[in-house]
Amino acid sequence: MALIALDLTVNGKQTQVQVEEDKNLLYLIREVLGLKGAKEGCGEGDCGACTVILDGKAVNSCLVLAVQAQGKELVTIEGLGRPDNPHPLQRAFVEEGAIQCGYCTPGMILSAKALLDYNPSPTGSEIRTAMSGNLCRCTGYQKIIRAVQKASNSMAEGKEVL
Amino acid sequence: MGLKTVGQRVPRVDGLTKAVGQAVYAGDMEMPGMLYGKALRSAYAHAKILSIDTSSAEKIPGVHVVLTAKDIPGINKFGLAILDQPVLAADKVRMRGDAIALVAAESGDIAEEALQAIKVSYEELPGIYTIEAGLADNAPLIHEEMGTNLLQHTKVRKGNIQEGFARADVVVENTYYTQRAEHAYLEPETSLATIDVSGNVTIWTSTQYVFRDRRQIAPVLGIPTNRVRVIQAATGGAFGGKDDITTEIQAGLLALKTKRPVRVTWSRAESMVCSTKRHPMKIWCKTGATKDGRLVALEGTVYSDKGAYCSIGHFITKKAGLHLSGPYHIPHISVDTFAVYTNNTVSGPFRGFGILQSALAHESQMDMLAERLGMSPWEIRMLNA
Repeated sequence: MALIALDLTVNGKQTQVQVEEDKNLLYLIREVLGLKGAKEGCGEGDCGACTVILDGKAVNSCLVLAVQAQGKELVTIEGLGRPDNPHPLQRAFVEEGAIQCGYCTPGMILSAKALLDYNPSPTGSEIRTAMSGNLCRCTGYQKIIRAVQKASNSMAEGKEVL
Repeated sequence: MGLKTVGQRVPRVDGLTKAVGQAVYAGDMEMPGMLYGKALRSAYAHAKILSIDTSSAEKIPGVHVVLTAKDIPGINKFGLAILDQPVLAADKVRMRGDAIALVAAESGDIAEEALQAIKVSYEELPGIYTIEAGLADNAPLIHEEMGTNLLQHTKVRKGNIQEGFARADVVVENTYYTQRAEHAYLEPETSLATIDVSGNVTIWTSTQYVFRDRRQIAPVLGIPTNRVRVIQAATGGAFGGKDDITTEIQAGLLALKTKRPVRVTWSRAESMVCSTKRHPMKIWCKTGATKDGRLVALEGTVYSDKGAYCSIGHFITKKAGLHLSGPYHIPHISVDTFAVYTNNTVSGPFRGFGILQSALAHESQMDMLAERLGMSPWEIRMLNA
């Protein structure tokens, strides 16, 4: 399969990559860029574990062709916080006990970030709608919703800076 | 006294690592020279294997090895409780998920191409898809050497069942059916196996029980247990579904044969077809109570659809029978359980271990008894708990 050269922004950094033209964005992220935070759960857009933010929108990276990322801005979980300086959403997920096995967590957090970037003070119902494409099987949905609410509140109070 | 941990909210020790995406699951691991392993799955639920031709697959550039049953150095069996499941089916397949051949290649795409190039000829056998068909006279045998499809029959006896029902003023009798269920953990099964210069095998895997894994891996690889090291990577959910061997032996065999690190990751579709499921059960229940609501007798039968292999399902089926009285005191009990092999996907552990299936039966019985007696569902439960 022919290699295609792409220019895109990865977590704020201008990046040039080459990828086979039939590969999906998740492959580009995990195998070419080596960013392992995005997970494959189903490979067909049902579970949301591979969610990343592309040009401000949460997408299932398994359903986007890698070549569609040309010229776009990609944010993965590695582009948020780090252990010594976590993003308010990451901190809230830990504090609210919204993490069990953790496999859905990067996708959950990125869906939540795409929501808060667009709507900083969502209602509970808006949070549920925005997170409806992300499955959790350890079943921590209530805590996940609470974590998003908590991050939204703390960011609104100005305690936290994005 | 102020305690730092007891009674306090404590964050998960691995919470932050997971929140920032740095937790390492087996599928996130890579090693120099790592190959990608994949398994060819049976096209039928029940069939004789007449021949397997791997010659075209072996010629594909990038394919390092193609293994079939004859290449296994040790025993070709595994199982959580009973060794009844082949690593690679040799003479026949017993369910759609049975693996027939393993491939290790330079990439997942090449491994997939090699699987397509393997030619297997089958002679389809009559399949058994229900408990009734499995127990029918002259039913085709799934494990011929057993002489029956009945894996296990257990009896629970307490008091005197005739005496119990003689004291009953009301009797409720019903049959309940529960469905097969997949755990659907978000992380599909994955293992990465390596072999060192001394022949020691190390396997990082998504599992629930490393010691039971190594006890099943070593005999297949034909090496002593102390030369197999199993390390649990961050595990993306399991719920009983990773109690059994999944990818561990496949990765181990391929590493042993190629002397290279090999990672085996099942697709979601593969996980659905191959991994253990919650046992479908057929539960008949007859419960007797006095007119003031006291339970006096329970008679029942529990039939479980084992699928093609035991896993630890003989115990799970027995446990469903042991719990058929629920959390209630019943003086006279007679329950029989039957674990039955079929050609469906193997059933195994799943949250509750057979107790959920029983709970549907005993709690439905309680509601119906309460209705018959004009009691509240709460009252009848408190009276008997």
